[in-house]
Amino acid sequence: MKKFLVLFLTVILVLSFAASCKKKAKEVPPPPPPQAQEQPKVEKVEEPAIKEPVLTEEEIFLKKTLEEINQEKPLAMIHFDYDRYNIRPDAVPVLEANASWLKKYPTVKILVEGHCDERGTEEYNLALGEKRAKSTMDYLVSLGISADRIRIISYGKSQPLDPGHDETAWAKNRRAQFLIIGK
Amino acid sequence: MKKSATWILCFIILTAGGLSLFSQQEIVLTIREGVPAISLALPPFVTDASSAEAREAAETIHRVLADDLNYSRVFSLVPREHLNYIRPLNPKEIFFKDWESIQARILVVGEVSQSQNRVIFEVKIYDVKSEKMILGKRYQADPGVFRLVAHRVADELMKLYGEKPYFTTKIVFVSNRDGNDELYMMDYDGANQTRLTFNKWRDYMPAWSPDQRAIVFTSYRAGNPDLYILYPYEGKLVPVSTKGTNFSGAFSPDGKKLAFCSTRDGNSEIYVAGADGSNARRITFNSAIDTAPSWSPTGREIAFTSDRTGTPQIYIMDAEGGNVRKVSFGGNYLDAPAWSPDGERIAFVSRVDNFFDIYILNLKTNKITKLTETRARNESPSWSPDGRHIIFSSNMSGSIQVYSVDYDASNLRCLTSQGENKLANWTN
Repeated sequence: MKKFLVLFLTVILVLSFAASCKKKAKEVPPPPPPQAQEQPKVEKVEEPAIKEPVLTEEEIFLKKTLEEINQEKPLAMIHFDYDRYNIRPDAVPVLEANASWLKKYPTVKILVEGHCDERGTEEYNLALGEKRAKSTMDYLVSLGISADRIRIISYGKSQPLDPGHDETAWAKNRRAQFLIIGK
Repeated sequence: MKKSATWILCFIILTAGGLSLFSQQEIVLTIREGVPAISLALPPFVTDASSAEAREAAETIHRVLADDLNYSRVFSLVPREHLNYIRPLNPKEIFFKDWESIQARILVVGEVSQSQNRVIFEVKIYDVKSEKMILGKRYQADPGVFRLVAHRVADELMKLYGEKPYFTTKIVFVSNRDGNDELYMMDYDGANQTRLTFNKWRDYMPAWSPDQRAIVFTSYRAGNPDLYILYPYEGKLVPVSTKGTNFSGAFSPDGKKLAFCSTRDGNSEIYVAGADGSNARRITFNSAIDTAPSWSPTGREIAFTSDRTGTPQIYIMDAEGGNVRKVSFGGNYLDAPAWSPDGERIAFVSRVDNFFDIYILNLKTNKITKLTETRARNESPSWSPDGRHIIFSSNMSGSIQVYSVDYDASNLRCLTSQGENKLANWTN
């Protein structure tokens, strides 16, 4: 801090000294005006722009990578009751929306992941996760989605969304979620 | 000597009797629960004090052997202070009456010597009453295997008294200490933790073959939960079931068959195949979840979990799938059966009020005892080869670790600490 103060004062001193010097320089006659020179015209360098045609929604979709599509999460996940794998009423509109999205992009292939909460044994939860993925797949098939567009996998309780140990966390973790794996 | 000889004779007669009674070979293990442990004196090992390596060998082997014998529940060590009451041990001239006076039935005398950079450990096991040596062994060892030498001696002692030796066996388990779930193995006491699989995918639910040469496990390495067999000493990995979700592998006690779960036919069912996974045959036919097969020690029956009545319960069926009957009662979430090596008990997990505990069902008395009481998640029980101990995973200390506990709920100890460790398997 002190150093800065000293430096600051020195700068002021030097500047004021220079200013006082300038005053004295006034006595010198002014230099001759500069000669007028002809300036070349400024040329703007440009590549001709390509005008993209207006893309259809499908073309925009196809341009994206699978990662980009998955980041947008076009397919919402659904949740299950404890130790159950039936499709709950609140999951029906979610699956209907997912099915219509899948109908809009008929080339898309998906992976349905079945997950469980931590309140189960490893063995049983792996089987339960598979049941959840399977019933989700079956529901999508019943809505007219071809079964060969859907793969299922169970992760049991190994990939919780919420690391908590209460009912809120468990409810979030009992789920089927969707991953787009082909388009 | 007389006593032990009589005992061994009895054992031979019993075994022979067993063989003639049953056409199939049957292993009869006698668990002498409640019988007083055999009193054993383990004085410090005698060593050539000039060599630091020999001293280290004497110290390490003695300590590990003492730990093994204390863990066994078969032997009980004569308290060390009792050795002060008698003359110091002279391996050349043993005063057996001294050792008898401090209640030792067995005397273990160890001597460590060194010649040309080789550490030699010599152990002599005496029956105090008869004043006779019942076993003598010499081992040559490098410092890296001093623990193994101790385990070998402990195994010899177990064999001498008709017990199943297991101190040189390994526990296979799953750990995330290196970033994701991989297979590891360790000694029974948690020493020598060694990584077995190296990839970024989940490897889990491992189970040993009875000879501990092969490990069946589930891996997501090919993008799907597939069943593989790893031969860790040959560096060989073989996929055995790859359609649907494949898990819960279990080798039969004779090592000739492999039971596992698969959803290859659309639903979680139990299959039995050859030990290499060939000729898989489906043995459950039910729209419910059937999982977690565990062989009886005779290999004639399989315990498993099914939710066919609405909640997961423990069932037993013949190894061909017939004669299914429910054996669990009094709970609404029971899973992970592990049949004990003596065939009389099944350890399992039961959920009560969001807590998971290990219980033991005695198939003869139909009584259930609770083994853990920790208000935590205690899971995946697996028996020691002699049926006196159970290992399991638990989050009782916060993170999930592997624990060992005795059949009577005593001697709880934690075997792991790095990362989270679970799904430990000792025997099927």
